[in-house]
Amino acid sequence: MSPAVVQTAALGRRAVVGTLRTPQALVPSLFFPLVLMAIFTGSFGGAPGTIPGFPPVRGFLDFALAGAILQGILIGGTSAGSAFALDIEGGFFDRLVASPVSRTAILTGRILGGVTLAMAQTLLFLAIGVAFGARVEGGVRGVLILLVLAALLAVAVSGLGVILALRTGSAEAVQGTFPLFFALMFFSSAFFPRETMTGWFKVLADLNPISYLVEAMRDQIIETEATSATLIGLGVAVALAALALWAANSAFHRRLEGDR
Amino acid sequence: MRHGLTISLGLAWRSLILVRRMPSVFLPSLIMPLFILIATAGAFRGISQLPQFEGASYLRFTIPLATVMGAGFAGINAGMTMARDIEGGFVDRLVASPAPRITLIVGPLIAAGLRSLFTTTVVLLAGLIGGIAPPGVSGTAVVYLLAIGFSCATACWAMGVALRARTIQAAPLMQVVVFLSVFTSVAYAPREVLTGWLRDVSDLNPVTYIMEASRAAELGTLGWSELWPGLVAVAGLIALLGTWALTGLASLGRR
Repeated sequence: MSPAVVQTAALGRRAVVGTLRTPQALVPSLFFPLVLMAIFTGSFGGAPGTIPGFPPVRGFLDFALAGAILQGILIGGTSAGSAFALDIEGGFFDRLVASPVSRTAILTGRILGGVTLAMAQTLLFLAIGVAFGARVEGGVRGVLILLVLAALLAVAVSGLGVILALRTGSAEAVQGTFPLFFALMFFSSAFFPRETMTGWFKVLADLNPISYLVEAMRDQIIETEATSATLIGLGVAVALAALALWAANSAFHRRLEGDR
Repeated sequence: MRHGLTISLGLAWRSLILVRRMPSVFLPSLIMPLFILIATAGAFRGISQLPQFEGASYLRFTIPLATVMGAGFAGINAGMTMARDIEGGFVDRLVASPAPRITLIVGPLIAAGLRSLFTTTVVLLAGLIGGIAPPGVSGTAVVYLLAIGFSCATACWAMGVALRARTIQAAPLMQVVVFLSVFTSVAYAPREVLTGWLRDVSDLNPVTYIMEASRAAELGTLGWSELWPGLVAVAGLIALLGTWALTGLASLGRR
């Protein structure tokens, strides 16, 4: 196995262990999405089957589960970026750069850590959802597609966190993106279907890539067969992940050139 | 008495001018209610098609959530300011002075009430821009009164936490409890629409009755039967959380 792969795996493992050892970094990505899911399910339980435009679902929990998964990944990605910024603040990043470790592994290791946590979190949320009565209509295929979507989204979000960390070198600045993600989620179909929105708010939700990601995730939970929403969501996720990787790589090389 | 009131007003003024000196502390309490108003009214508008809403505009329905949330933030600010004052030594200097201790609570309470007037006005103006006229003189007065009351209750909660924890790191605890108390009430839908555990919790949550009274005032359906539970809930919260703050104040200097 090539040294870069081994080093990526080692740095990825370090990222996962580091997050698991700091509950204050882990709790927000579990607590907020689950609490909001519980509150929305209690508040909007009467919506399915009653409101025109609401997709046919067994219950609101089935509808809300994808939003919770996506929210958890967004918050978790912010934490990954903050952890990378802390590495820069604490000098670990400089020591890594000065060592014979592959430059690519420094970047991919952190992102791999984010992806691993996102996939584990997705499985955890699915298990909690199922325990409270949700059903994944897509079955094993649906769960696998959900994991792929979670991994791609984690690449995009962790990549963005890494870019901010490299640009600012400040964990606080990376954490500052949390309200932005929170706002982006509300202006999408993460919590309620786009079909029930109107006016400028619907236009914003239509333009928001989060709408397509969450709808693809939801497709696996509420539909027995994958629909066009899955393909569109996968396309958006691949595009975002590729863009984030390219931008993170550029930011990484710019920082190294700046250090010379 | 007069001496204590003068000092309380001085402390309230000091707390209010911090808004200008440290806008980063105050701005979230202004932006968040507006965000909640716009995001909630836009994202969940479809739920108002349920018959229990009786055709009410969801933006109008959401205004009390934003005013109550803004008042909650105004109260949390009081606790955060106190935590900073404890860390910075200002509270110690005040305790060592001849000023009555109670002014440490009363001053920030006045400031929280005044801040909630401001956030409520901003929310009502945002509603006006969105085409929602204020609900008449008496209705508007009730919306303001309940916001002031809730800001005082949350200020007592946050100051009680600050007096015990004595660090700004306790701010998330102040915030999370207020958030949960608001969102586990009738924040997004009337009680008849709520299901499962939220229905049971909202029945027991005093914020439900504050929100329902404020909402009835906003929707123009306010009667005594809606108003009194809201007033009792505010009074009960202030009494309970005021005791929490006062016992925290009494512990000051013991450690």
